[in-house]
Amino acid sequence: MAVSVDEVADAMYDLVAEYQGKKKFKASDLTKAMIEKFGGEVDKKFCKLAIRQLMDSGRCVYTYFGGSFIEVPHEEGAAGGS
Amino acid sequence: MALERRTDIGPPDYKQFLPPIIKENYGKWKYHEELRPGVMVHVGESGDKLFTVRAGSPRLMGTKGIRRFADLAEKYCGGYMRFTSRHNAEFLLTEEANIDPLIADLAEVGHPVGGIGNAISSIVHTQGWVHCHSAATDASGVVKAVMDDLHEYFDGTTEVPGKLRIALACCLNMCGAVHCSDIAILGVHRRPPKIQHENMKKMCEIPNVVASCPTAAIRPAEVDGHPSVEIDEDLCMFCANCFSVCPALPMADALNDGISIWVGGKVSNARSEPTFSKLAIPFIENNPPRWPEVTEAVRKIVEVWVDGARKYERMGEFIERIGWPRFFELTGIEFEKEHIDDYKYAGLSFKRSAQIRQ
Amino acid sequence: MADSQRSTPLLDELKEGPWPSFVTQIEEMADEGKESCGQLLELLERSYNEKIGHWKHGGIVGVMGYGGGVIGRYSDVQDEYPAIAHFHTIRVNQPQGWFYTSDSLRTICDIWDRHGSGLTNMHGSTGDIILLGTTTDELEPTFAELTQNDFDLGGSGSDMRTPSCCVGPARCEWACYDTLALTQELTMHWQDELHRPAFPYKFKIKNSGCANDCVASIARADLSIIGTWRDQIRIDQDEVRACAENGMNIERDICGNCPTKCIEWDGNEMTIDDSNCVKCMHCINAMPKALRPGTDTGACILLGAKAPIVEGAQLSSVIVPFMKIEEPYDELKDLIERIWDFWGEHGKNRERVGELMQRVGLGNFLEEIEVEPVPQMVAYPRDNPYVFYEEYYEEDDEEDDEE
Repeated sequence: MAVSVDEVADAMYDLVAEYQGKKKFKASDLTKAMIEKFGGEVDKKFCKLAIRQLMDSGRCVYTYFGGSFIEVPHEEGAAGGS
Repeated sequence: MALERRTDIGPPDYKQFLPPIIKENYGKWKYHEELRPGVMVHVGESGDKLFTVRAGSPRLMGTKGIRRFADLAEKYCGGYMRFTSRHNAEFLLTEEANIDPLIADLAEVGHPVGGIGNAISSIVHTQGWVHCHSAATDASGVVKAVMDDLHEYFDGTTEVPGKLRIALACCLNMCGAVHCSDIAILGVHRRPPKIQHENMKKMCEIPNVVASCPTAAIRPAEVDGHPSVEIDEDLCMFCANCFSVCPALPMADALNDGISIWVGGKVSNARSEPTFSKLAIPFIENNPPRWPEVTEAVRKIVEVWVDGARKYERMGEFIERIGWPRFFELTGIEFEKEHIDDYKYAGLSFKRSAQIRQ
Repeated sequence: MADSQRSTPLLDELKEGPWPSFVTQIEEMADEGKESCGQLLELLERSYNEKIGHWKHGGIVGVMGYGGGVIGRYSDVQDEYPAIAHFHTIRVNQPQGWFYTSDSLRTICDIWDRHGSGLTNMHGSTGDIILLGTTTDELEPTFAELTQNDFDLGGSGSDMRTPSCCVGPARCEWACYDTLALTQELTMHWQDELHRPAFPYKFKIKNSGCANDCVASIARADLSIIGTWRDQIRIDQDEVRACAENGMNIERDICGNCPTKCIEWDGNEMTIDDSNCVKCMHCINAMPKALRPGTDTGACILLGAKAPIVEGAQLSSVIVPFMKIEEPYDELKDLIERIWDFWGEHGKNRERVGELMQRVGLGNFLEEIEVEPVPQMVAYPRDNPYVFYEEYYEEDDEEDDEE
């Protein structure tokens, strides 16, 4: 495949960062967006590798609010005082 | 030097934790017998005998308590033990002579033996006020109070007709999936969420919140200049799904939270098919530390079953045989509007025949 | 009381009575010097007075790279109880069948004494070892020590949750397949699905060796794998007669309780019409020395159970009436991946697979996962005539199936 895992991970990061605070993405949302963006060059398995790369790099974290999402790390709302 | 970071290794291989007698008889057990309450023997095709002693546990255990279990496993069981799906501890012995001293040592450290076969086993339960953000009641405290009261049915002091499985969940999320239990104790909220309009924007995604409501009671709205939501309270059935996706919609309310009791469910396929528990008591106020109204209600239901059920008959099978009107009569529970389902498929629960015990 | 500052009169009442007390367990740890446990007791006492909980759900904390296994938890009165301001839960994948050695239990205790409150649940509802209460800073060090000792985290969030199983062939003569081996294999095979949430919502797998379903899979697991057999119940007639001699009322308690009335007893010999037996386990449960499951064993695969949230509770329903469960389990794994593919593609956020089955219809769902409909999947065929036929003929349609 012409496109690399790193490139897809970067594209995923850009998408998450752009919409941070406006829209939350699930892993499957990112996968669908990448398949749309890169066409036949990526598939679900490839996107899975890219997500793992993205998460292991620490640029994004998984969050959970009634469902799991991928976000740019930010301060935990509940961590503060009362 | 930092150790290499390991991930995705999975659980340790269970085979290393199996006692030698189990390794030798793995898949080759022939039959088992209950020797006395809380004690059974499994006999292999080989003739080998494995004795199991089942002890009740509070589930919430400190490491000190776990170390006591480890010590007993070492003293009597070659260091091997297991836990059951209902949080009991099981000690696996090859020496029959060790059973009595083990039971005596367990009693010494406060763990009763029982819960096997036709008996009441430990109560599967959730975190409650000890650790949960959405609890409508405590879990461990109610369980302790109920088991203190029903202890005689756990340790075999009083015989029961069949198995009786109790479970407790502290809200409708049902982390303990209590909905198929002979008796389910379920924490319930009864007040719609109190909307924190000023937090809504920063803590929650409004479209997600709106979509989360199974009855479409939540609509986007601007309140006091804040983008927020409004709730049609008549449509709220207190599921707290909105709170799960949005912490700015707290449900917990000391005046309105409490406990409901459900009966007649089971998961086993033996005789009758698995089935949901049905509503017995819609609401009992929280009354810590011992929830006397709950323990009394549970005991009454248990006693009605013990008195009336035939051998092997589970709560639901017993009620099916005598009919629900008789169940309400025998337990003295008042039948109210809340007992009649009004959600999806409600009609399926209506009585659609003239077969009535007049 | 060791800590003279602490006053918990309501909780103290729960130290009395015959059932082992969780209060005593927490107090012991407080007395060992765990400040968090002392403050937990005080906060719980407050909840007992106020009749309300004091915890907030966190959504971000975890260990690097994983999206499951850690549940963020914060007190809503942090200033008053600083030692439990952060009190996160760690889910640790249990050994199959919940078997331990004393050494392995002590290893877990040592790690948790060093890094957390020392409180646990043995075990959580899904099956994991629950380590109850630590701070954000301790998450990575706890994880590092756990993995150095061959333990890994379980699931949470929208992922495959930690699969669990009954005691199976390790100590049960009724196990119709090796529940421990299957559970270990599925857990290892899908580590990525367990640790990196990629599903619409949670997906639980529970494996029971027979229809007694000791892990409640039919009620509590999206995928319920329940052992069964398709040949004859093995009968030891001498043992049957021994039961009768020992006072068992076989006619009433065994034949009378059989759901399909397929058992006969003439006072000397028991006969079973196995073609009409539904493998419910009652007769075998009642006469474990006399009756045993057959030897052509496998499992019934059911799908879709869940608790009420969001659209109402469901029990799992049959999608494969019988499947051999043997290594390498490819048929089962392929089926599960087809289910995940369709659900992953079409499931909405927080929609369990059972809810998707309801929304699209079981018939359509089966088509999507490439499973043929069979009568074993329904209690009875539909009794409503509103059928969604997908195609119809026009007057001038040509016959085109002449190939």
